[in-house]
Amino acid sequence: MTSFVKRRVIESDICIIGSGISAAMVADKLARTTTGRIIVVEAGDEAPSLGQRPALRARYLSYGESPWPDDHLDGYEMEGPLQSRSMQVGGLAMHWGGVTPRWSPEDFRTRSLCGVGTDWPISYDDLDPYYQEAEQLLGVSGEQGPPAMDPRGSPFPMAAIPLTHNLVQLKEWASHAGITMWSQPSAKNSRPYDGRSACCRNDTCTPICPIGAKYSPDFTWNRLRASNRVTLYPRTLVRRLVMEDGSNRIVSAEAVQRGSGTSKGAGTPVEFRAKRFVVAGGYVWSAHLLLLSRGSRAPDGLANRSGTVGKYLTGHRNQQAFIALPMRLHPGMNGQHSLVTKQFMRAPVGDRYLRHDLRVWESSYGRGPRLRRDDGTLMLGDDIMRDWRERTTTGVARVRAYYDVVPDRSSELTLDTSRKNAWGDPLPKLAFRDAPESAALRGYSVETLNALFAKMARAGGGTLLRTEEDDAKGWQDHPAGGCRMGSDPATSVVDGWGRTHDHDNLFVVGAPTCVSGSCANATLTFCALALRAAEEIAR
Amino acid sequence: MSWLSRRAFLGSLAAAVPVATFVRRAHAAAIHELTASSETLHALGAAILPSELGSAGIASAVNAFQYWISGYREHAELVHGYGTSALAYAGPTPATRWATQLDALDRAARHDGSRSFSTLPLERRRAMVRSQLSGLTITGMPAVGRAQHVAIALLSHWYGSSDATDRCYRAAIGTQQCRPLATSARVPLPLAGGRG
Repeated sequence: MTSFVKRRVIESDICIIGSGISAAMVADKLARTTTGRIIVVEAGDEAPSLGQRPALRARYLSYGESPWPDDHLDGYEMEGPLQSRSMQVGGLAMHWGGVTPRWSPEDFRTRSLCGVGTDWPISYDDLDPYYQEAEQLLGVSGEQGPPAMDPRGSPFPMAAIPLTHNLVQLKEWASHAGITMWSQPSAKNSRPYDGRSACCRNDTCTPICPIGAKYSPDFTWNRLRASNRVTLYPRTLVRRLVMEDGSNRIVSAEAVQRGSGTSKGAGTPVEFRAKRFVVAGGYVWSAHLLLLSRGSRAPDGLANRSGTVGKYLTGHRNQQAFIALPMRLHPGMNGQHSLVTKQFMRAPVGDRYLRHDLRVWESSYGRGPRLRRDDGTLMLGDDIMRDWRERTTTGVARVRAYYDVVPDRSSELTLDTSRKNAWGDPLPKLAFRDAPESAALRGYSVETLNALFAKMARAGGGTLLRTEEDDAKGWQDHPAGGCRMGSDPATSVVDGWGRTHDHDNLFVVGAPTCVSGSCANATLTFCALALRAAEEIAR
Repeated sequence: MSWLSRRAFLGSLAAAVPVATFVRRAHAAAIHELTASSETLHALGAAILPSELGSAGIASAVNAFQYWISGYREHAELVHGYGTSALAYAGPTPATRWATQLDALDRAARHDGSRSFSTLPLERRRAMVRSQLSGLTITGMPAVGRAQHVAIALLSHWYGSSDATDRCYRAAIGTQQCRPLATSARVPLPLAGGRG
C-alpha cells in the first residue's frame, strides 16, 4: 500500500529563506516599507530566549558547553572549512562578536585603483546611507576616526564603548609608533538602546551576551513576529526553488518541516509560494540552495547562467603578534573590545598590493598562571601565585592585521555527491583559494606585517614575543561570496541590488553577494547590502 | 567493605568491564565521594592552593570545585569551533579518575604510617602530590575537565576564577563579571579587606 503525506502550501508576497542577520535586515525594512505578507523560513530551531542566556553562559564558562545547544542539523559534517556549524533562528549572529567596522571606499574599486581584483558594481558612496541605516538598526556604538581614514555620512547612533584603562595605555603606545587608533565600532550598547540594556563588560560577546546589550537578530524577529508583520517557520528546510513553466520566474520553494523525531529524512513537505523570493542563507547555504535547485531548464542550478554560483568565495587573511610591553596592564577589563585603525586600509602600504586593518587588544599571552617554571620545576601552593605575580608586572598586547586577498574562481562551494543529508540532498564542499596575484604576495604580506609589529614593539620599548600566520590553504575569516554581484551577467550572479540576473523575482542578499572580502570584519557590510537590496525588493 | 573501597572497587570494575550500568554506578559513586565525603580533597586544597586564601578561602575554593564536579554533564554539546563542521561533546565525568587518585594519596599516607592524607603536614602532602604528578606530562593549566590529575584540576579550577586574577593583580578587575562601562577607563581599585 502506498502512503501519501499531504503537502502543505503556504502563500505570501515575499518569502525570505534564512533568518540570520541579513534576513532580519531585509524583513525589518520590508515590514516598514511594504504592506505585503512576509514569511521567513529557517531550517534550524528557535534560539533560547534572552531569559535563558545567563544560565547558558554560566555553563559555557564552567564547562565549555555550547550556549546554543542543538543549534545545528545532524548529519551535516562536510568537507572544507565551514565558518560555523550553527543553524538556528538568528543564524550565526546569535554568537557573533558584534564588531562592526565599515569597509573602506577602496574596497569597492581595487581594480580601478590598484590594478587587482574586480570592481564592485556599487561604490562606497552608494552604500553609505545603508551603512547608516544598519548602524541604527543594530545599534552601533562608535567613535569617529579621522575623516580622511574613516569617511561616514552621519554620526554613530551611540557614543563609543569607552576604552578601558588598558586600551588607553595601548592607544598611547600605538601613537608612538605613528599609528592613530580609536575605539572599535561595535553593535553593543554603550547606553540603553532600542529596549535593550547597556553593555556591562561581561566579556563573553562571543559566544553569548547574557543581557542582550549586543545586537542579535532574535530581537528583530521577536518584534516583527509580535506585531504580526512576519511569520517565521523554524525547523523548515528549503530543499529547492522551482521555476515557473514557460518563464524564468520562481514560483515556489519546496521545503520539509523537520519532524521532532530522529528518523532519517522525517518531516512534512511544505510548499512556499510567493511573488518574490529572497535567499538569505549566508555564504554557504545560499549558493548551496541555488545549486540544489538544478533542473532540466537549469542544469547547473538556478541563477547560474554565468557558472559563477558557488565561485569566488572570499574572506581575508590575517597575521598577528603578541608584544610584551613595559607597562602595567590588567587583562580582563573588557577583553573582547579593541582599538582599530584604518590607516593602512585606504591605500596600499608599499609599491605592491597590501591593504590591511590593524587592531590591538589587551592580552594575557604568556602571562597566565602556570604549573612549571622555565626550568621545569613543578610548583604548588604559594609558588604558583608568586610566580604569576612576578610575570605580570608588565603587560602584553595582541596585535592583528586582516589583509585583503583577491579570491580565485576556484575558491568555491560545490555539491558533494558523496555526502548527503537525511533527505538525500548533497552537502556542500568548500575550498578557499587566493587568486595567483594574492598568492604571490603572501610572503611579502607576512614579512611587511611582521616588520610593522616589530616597529611597534620597538616604539614601546617592548619585545615581539611571537608572530602567527594563518592557514594559507584553509579557513579565511569572515567568509563571503559565492553569488557575487556585478554588472555583467556573464561573470556574476546578481546585480548591484542583489537581484539575480537570470530570475526577475529572485534575490540573494548579504554575504554571498560580496565581490571581495576587504580587510575588516564584514557583518555591517552584509547588513548594508541587505538593506539596499530590500529597497529594490520593495519596489 | 568500606565506602571508599567500594568506590575504588566500582571504579576498577568500570575500567575492566565497560558495561553501561557499571560505568554509571562507578561514576555516581565517584561523584558522591568527591562532593559529599571530601576530607582528602579539602586536605589537598590546603596543600596546593595559595595560603593567602586562608582556611575559609581554601574551603570555599574546594567547595566550588565540588560544585563543578556535581554539575558536570556527560555528552553535553560543547561550544562549536570556527572553521569546521565537526561537533564536540563532553566526555565521561573525570570524577572517577580523580576519586581514584585521592584514594592513592590516602593509601600513600597510610603506607607512610599516617592515618590518612589529611593528617599529614602540608609539606609532606605536597611531596606526595609531586610524587603522583611526576609521571605526567604537565605543561600549562589545562581545562578543568581535561586535567589528568585531581590536583591539577583543582588548581585549574581556582586559577581560572575571577578571584584568582584579582589576587594576582591585587586589583578588583572582576573578569567576566557584570561591571559598569563608566568605570572601565580607571585603574581597577585595590582589593578590599586585605585580599591579595
